[in-house]
Amino acid sequence: MKDLVRMRTSLKEETERILNEQIKMEAHSSAIYLSMAAWCDRNGFDYSAGYFYKQAEEERSHMLKIFKYVSDLGGTAVSPEVTNVPQEFEGFRDVFELALQQEIAVTNSINRIVATARQLNDFATDQFMQWFVQEQIEEEYVARRAVELFDVIGEEGVGRYMIDKAIPKITYGEAAE
Amino acid sequence: MNSEYLTELYSNTKGSSYQCDATNRIIIRFGDITVSLRITDFLTFKRRVDSVDIHTMIFNTDDAYDVEIIDAPRTDQLFVLNLCDLILLRDLLAGTRFALDLNTLLHERIYNAVVY
Repeated sequence: MKDLVRMRTSLKEETERILNEQIKMEAHSSAIYLSMAAWCDRNGFDYSAGYFYKQAEEERSHMLKIFKYVSDLGGTAVSPEVTNVPQEFEGFRDVFELALQQEIAVTNSINRIVATARQLNDFATDQFMQWFVQEQIEEEYVARRAVELFDVIGEEGVGRYMIDKAIPKITYGEAAE
Repeated sequence: MNSEYLTELYSNTKGSSYQCDATNRIIIRFGDITVSLRITDFLTFKRRVDSVDIHTMIFNTDDAYDVEIIDAPRTDQLFVLNLCDLILLRDLLAGTRFALDLNTLLHERIYNAVVY
């Protein structure tokens, strides 16, 4: 008797399910960043808006990366439905704190996928997800540095203006050392 | 269908399922309906059947919740299911899935194992 399931895909059902959940999460992140960009734009934080537009693009590219992986391996990649995207935020600082929380949630989710892949002996998915593990180090670093700027510069006087200008200059890697 | 290529996967009081190695399809016989599905379509069909909210069917007295209509992907067949049918179809599909997974496991551990 042929192994029809394995002939169709090398992904286990559980792996396919959690990868599709991650696709949805990345799409949701992208949408949140987009609404943050719009909020920053309409409140005069031009540089931060640019930063969030870039983040929105990046999250979408992460989503596509996983989407294509699921498809390439013969799985069913589900185009996600994105709902519950907040459009209003309490203030400038809150936007960045929420962005950091979002990144932490993504990191936790990535870690859970790696743990599941290892549990299922799915070495391909484990290796594929390592790129995301590395990427999240950078994402969290940048998000955390952005929040820290509020304490380092202070919001009084021209503080917010200075913070806004400093946001796009945050980089991870050698330049940040 | 050539029975030489058919392997029964699971059966219950209302139906049975087979794998056809000639066409690489899963055949579901349920009541009067027979459908032949590609493996991807079988999994999609199973997801559709599993996603029905049985709890609402039981407790909602509205007529609209008495039956559930589910179409089998890429076939002309519609499954019109009352609560008992739905539970039996779920059982049939779950049993079929189990047999398929067991076969994968056997391939992994026994048939594909290198023997020196």
